[in-house]
Amino acid sequence: MPGYHYILVSLALFFIGTAGVLLRRNAIFVLMSLELQLGAGSLALLTFARGLGDQRGHVVAFFLMALAAAEAAVGLAVMVAVYRTRKQIDLDGIHELRN
Amino acid sequence: MNLMLSAPSLLEKIAFWVLAGGVLGGALITVTRKSSVGALMALVATFCAMAGLYATLSAHFLAVLQILVYAGAIMVLFIFAVMIMNRDEENPIALRGLFVRTAGVIATGYIFYRAAWIVVHERQTDVLATSATLPIPNYGNVASIGRLLFTDFLFPFEAVSLLLLAAVVGGVLLSRPSRPADGGGAV
Repeated sequence: MPGYHYILVSLALFFIGTAGVLLRRNAIFVLMSLELQLGAGSLALLTFARGLGDQRGHVVAFFLMALAAAEAAVGLAVMVAVYRTRKQIDLDGIHELRN
Repeated sequence: MNLMLSAPSLLEKIAFWVLAGGVLGGALITVTRKSSVGALMALVATFCAMAGLYATLSAHFLAVLQILVYAGAIMVLFIFAVMIMNRDEENPIALRGLFVRTAGVIATGYIFYRAAWIVVHERQTDVLATSATLPIPNYGNVASIGRLLFTDFLFPFEAVSLLLLAAVVGGVLLSRPSRPADGGGAV
């Protein structure tokens, strides 16, 4: 398939992830939407790597995957710690870091 | 897939559209679902379909890693988090500041619409057109990516391993119940 099909899928996926981050209030859903955005980024990386015939895009996508794992680990740990003290993970209800 | 790369054959088209539909439909279900567990299962399906898309781009190593890391490890982490704090939402869309958020989504949608327009407009360029043959013989398999990782990208590779270690230790430290008696220093 032509590469621009993949780029269009990647753009749509990133847009869905952005809408999820902006509209959802549950922190778990926000983290899942962030994973969708990272996946869209690596899909675009692999498409351009294929188009350019350059395998270094694969290496960058590999690092992106490790970064997503680290982000999920730290983000979920923060949410567990917040849930333990506040008994909620609604992002609108957490004002600890404001001011 | 190597046999089908000469032209977009019917089988390749079917594979692409099924996988792309799976990715986008799964992502939509993930974002709009009320229950966390249903959204997680949709996210697993999304990542499996995305691994299929990687395989059609002849990125076989990344496709296998996508299944292992995303659909395996990260999803298990999410499932544990959902088990700890399982609360289905009454109204999943945030009501406070809804106007500002909707305006933000519309603005991002416009940006992505313009980006898609640019991509469609430039579809005849070499990068975005189909590449009929594989650039090099063993493109995207474990041997070539591994050779690249351990030669040119050795330092970033080790740095990422250190980053993962720091993230895991930080995660343990954050999610551990705080006991004021030990002073918090000894792990």
